[in-house]
Amino acid sequence: MSAGRFVELRDVVPRGIAGSATITSIGAGTTLAELEVDPQIPQVLREACAAAASPQLRAMGTIGGNLLQATRCWYWRLGYPCFLHGGDRCHARTGQQREHAIFGNERCASAHPSDPAAALLALGAILRTDRRELPLADLYRLPTEDDRDLTTLSTGELILELEVPAPRASVYLKAMDRRKWAFPLVGVGAARFVDGVRLGLSGVAPIPWALGGPEELDRATPLPGTAYKVEIARALVRRAVDAV
Amino acid sequence: MARLIRTEKEVEGRYTEQWIVVEEDALERWPEGPLAVVGREAPRTDGLARARGEAVYTADISFPGLLHTAVLRSPHARARVKRLELGAALEAPGVRGAVQPGDVECLTREPGYPGAPVAAIAADSAGLARAALERIEVEWEVLNPLLDPDEAVRRGELTTERRPYARGDLEHGLAEADIVVEAEYRTQTVLHNSMETHQAVCRWQGDTLEVYTSTQFIWGVRNAVAEQLGLPPDRVRVVCEYMGGGFGAKNDPGDYTFLAAELARRTGRPVRCALTRREENLDSGNRNATIQRLRAGARADGTLTALGGEFVASIGASGWLASTAGPMQMLYACENVETLEYGAKLNTAPMAAFRAPGFVEGTFGLECLLDELAAKLDLDPLELRRINYAHADLLDDRAFSSKNLAECYRRAEPHWARREEVRARSAGPWRHGVGLASQIWYGGGGPPSYAWIRVGSDGRATVVTAMQDIGTGSRTAMAQIAAEELGLPLDRVDVVLGDSARGPYASISAGSSTIPSMGPAVRSAAADAGRQILEIAAQRYHLEERVLSLRDGRIVSTDGGSWPLEEVTGLLEEGQILGKGARGPNPAGMRVLTFGVQVAEVAVDVETGEVRVDRIAAIHDVGRVINPLGASSQVEGGIIQGLGHTLSEERLLDPATGGVLTQTLDAYRVPTIADVPEIVTELLDLPDAHLTNLGAKGLGEPPIIPTAAAIANAIRDATGADVRSLPITREEMLRALRQAADRAAARESVGASSA
Amino acid sequence: MIELRVNGGVHRVDPAVGRSLAETLREDLGLTGTKVACGEGHCGACTVQLDGVPVLSCITLVHTVRAREVTTIEGLRDHPLVESFVRADALQCGFCTPGQIVSAAALVEANPEPSRDEIRHAMAGNLCRCGAYPKIEEAVLTWRG
Repeated sequence: MSAGRFVELRDVVPRGIAGSATITSIGAGTTLAELEVDPQIPQVLREACAAAASPQLRAMGTIGGNLLQATRCWYWRLGYPCFLHGGDRCHARTGQQREHAIFGNERCASAHPSDPAAALLALGAILRTDRRELPLADLYRLPTEDDRDLTTLSTGELILELEVPAPRASVYLKAMDRRKWAFPLVGVGAARFVDGVRLGLSGVAPIPWALGGPEELDRATPLPGTAYKVEIARALVRRAVDAV
Repeated sequence: MARLIRTEKEVEGRYTEQWIVVEEDALERWPEGPLAVVGREAPRTDGLARARGEAVYTADISFPGLLHTAVLRSPHARARVKRLELGAALEAPGVRGAVQPGDVECLTREPGYPGAPVAAIAADSAGLARAALERIEVEWEVLNPLLDPDEAVRRGELTTERRPYARGDLEHGLAEADIVVEAEYRTQTVLHNSMETHQAVCRWQGDTLEVYTSTQFIWGVRNAVAEQLGLPPDRVRVVCEYMGGGFGAKNDPGDYTFLAAELARRTGRPVRCALTRREENLDSGNRNATIQRLRAGARADGTLTALGGEFVASIGASGWLASTAGPMQMLYACENVETLEYGAKLNTAPMAAFRAPGFVEGTFGLECLLDELAAKLDLDPLELRRINYAHADLLDDRAFSSKNLAECYRRAEPHWARREEVRARSAGPWRHGVGLASQIWYGGGGPPSYAWIRVGSDGRATVVTAMQDIGTGSRTAMAQIAAEELGLPLDRVDVVLGDSARGPYASISAGSSTIPSMGPAVRSAAADAGRQILEIAAQRYHLEERVLSLRDGRIVSTDGGSWPLEEVTGLLEEGQILGKGARGPNPAGMRVLTFGVQVAEVAVDVETGEVRVDRIAAIHDVGRVINPLGASSQVEGGIIQGLGHTLSEERLLDPATGGVLTQTLDAYRVPTIADVPEIVTELLDLPDAHLTNLGAKGLGEPPIIPTAAAIANAIRDATGADVRSLPITREEMLRALRQAADRAAARESVGASSA
Repeated sequence: MIELRVNGGVHRVDPAVGRSLAETLREDLGLTGTKVACGEGHCGACTVQLDGVPVLSCITLVHTVRAREVTTIEGLRDHPLVESFVRADALQCGFCTPGQIVSAAALVEANPEPSRDEIRHAMAGNLCRCGAYPKIEEAVLTWRG
């Protein structure tokens, strides 16, 4: 590892879970391992945490960190001069793309790997930083020519807490290359509230993807190598909606 | 008396002839079945050392002043180095030495694959060495890589001569057939990813080079290093007491050994050169991809009349052409067989042996093709295989030293009979099915291999031989063999191995050869020591040798007398009884092979393409089984690697540049514990009556061979979809399902229009 | 200079900023039972416990450990799991084994009678290329002998 300076956040980011009947507050420093077993946490988030990464990574990784998790796009990880790195094109769009996006992929086809983020989108979680409060969906943005960032966080802005409304029912379904310890090819979080079912998807766009409803899958823009993800998403969305 | 003979030696299916000296080895054959120690379950004798983290692997070796190496590797698949300046790197903190093209044979100015080594730096720490790499000034002229194997064949870019084989007349056989099937199968490039990466620590001690390395072949490293460095072989000492997996990729010394040796010479310090995981997946070998264009013809009764195949292996920048056509040539009694194999030379990393190289790939193609044929013939797949049973080796009409595949088939019946029950589990999107595939492979080992044994006055025996235990449990098996022969309990036998300076020449641990090569030498050494003990006992107790034997740690007389072994060996005080033994020749004029069959049960989610393997029954014929516990571990390990090969593992390249995209273990997906099916292992444990004083063959490779085909055939049984390309990822499964649905729809519309 | 609590003892070390716990354990403290197989948090060979929780020492910066107790395989040598791994033949080359045992020890501490599914869930981050998994499952199931 190389860096000039490391800042340890453990003492400044809240950790722990506090619940009422309608809302659960989660400190951003709470680990995925803690979330996956806590009965106060809605099922979709518990299942998403349990399906994420490996046991050790869940024990180390916090929910705040997980929301900012970088893509697993191999071109980006291996340092290709791609769009997300500030380059002029997305290498995946003409290259190996089986793990890549089916939505929002015009400039950068990377896929966001966070399972919990999809669950939290489905739950309509509210995020509190040291500067503002915002719906989780507003944390993310697709990269543009002028700004390649995937989040709306400012420099130095710190995610502190999440507020999660309690759904009537919820579920997280995930398609991956192994039974465990793999990033989502497609992950689907679904949560039923009084006003209907909300859906959040992982692995399908450069950012966690809020899906208005199953019919929005018709508007997917898959690449040749990711067309199969639409098929999987259809099945998982249908199953998730049925389950809640 | 020592006899000089000319014998055939086989490793990984490659035969060479060589002279060997053998001594008479007329040991009585042990009876079939479990004996006192051999044939009984033994936890591995070095298990505690490994489990407690006390075992010292190459990765753990340290010497005062040890330097660490970082290697500048080509980021391009094909390039020329226009300019290379090490100056600034040599000035970097902690740097003690560097090498560039011209200094060591493996360094190149014209890299032909991504990851090819160009220069290397030794520094006080791995971090400093890596930091210094950044200071190397290098200018590349990037050239267009050749990545398409068919294109390479068209251009004649081959690593070796194309390899044709024919018996009978293929076209005639096809004309005779009532049914002909034709299909193209593809297998992917797979990476070994042993947990301990390739590495060596080299240290010069006077004019002797010590090489501590993670290797499958101590003596191969010794000889290759000596040759390249122009040293007498005994001036190279190779040590490998514990090693963290090889799977075929650690048969040779590797560039890292030569880099460490040269940097150690230049700096006068011990030097480690260890690959990182990413380097491991760039440049430590791979199971090469194949394209197999296959044809099979059969009469209506199932008799095979023709088997033909064109095989293109994506060898990489260099490497050898493993026999993908082997199973087609050897598995079935078909009179008309023609195969043609090409080794495509590409700008990708060189292949290396990987657990039954060639046969794993070729068996996937052949055994899936057989099931496609069975479907058209409306024959039971197991029955089709029985109809075409080969009773002799068809390559040159040799008899098999032993073949019990028919018995494997018989033992497979109860597993095969679960078909109806398994299929009936299909519900919702999940379809269940059962498939099987056969296995043929080598595994007879051969000479030369030697062992020494010493029995001390305490009545304990120590086997000494410079072999290696690559994690297969050979150390334990050798102890069992010596214990059996000396009538000792297992805990009174030690095995000292892993050091070319402290033991005689020993076999490579590859090609499923360790047990069949080393085991007989160890038994022979133990027998030599045992004979001496009885001779001494006979004199001590005034008895004839022929009434004495060794059992339960005692010398036992037929008249009922018995004495603890130490009573005799104790007479010698500091003295020792020394035995030596050698591996005898392989049976002349016979083919020594291993056989087996696996039955897989799978479930497929036809909406999401998920394939779940629920159960695999593995029945193999590998001669006598020394340690049933370790043997079942080998079978499970092979099947689990086969599972990764079948479902989730693939080295992916950027199609434009040839860059390797799956360098890390998050992107390259080996199976986890959660992916493992129920595995039922049955080993026939029938000693080969013609092979050595043990009748034992090797087991490391056979279990991985039929797994992919058995799973693919089970998928076809479950869904009707033909999966002809590995790995069977979600997208491949969904593609195959779509194709099957389209085919069914087309059939229906034809049916409708003709009605 | 920092104090590191490892296996019940206290060590004073002076690692450079950015040094990993794995490097410190192996190179500075000579505790080579902890293996590094990937060096980037993907394989589990370097697993150690921090206050009983299994973590990846190759991606844990040593300066972040602070007062937490580090338990490595050297601190678990007499754990019944070591015996049960050997008895069940739950290791082949053995390079991943210390990490497997460290993970398993944390599991059975929290859940002394884990089911097969619970074992698979808790051990999925410890890759074993030899494929000792069926017997690892068996060893954890029968860890008390």
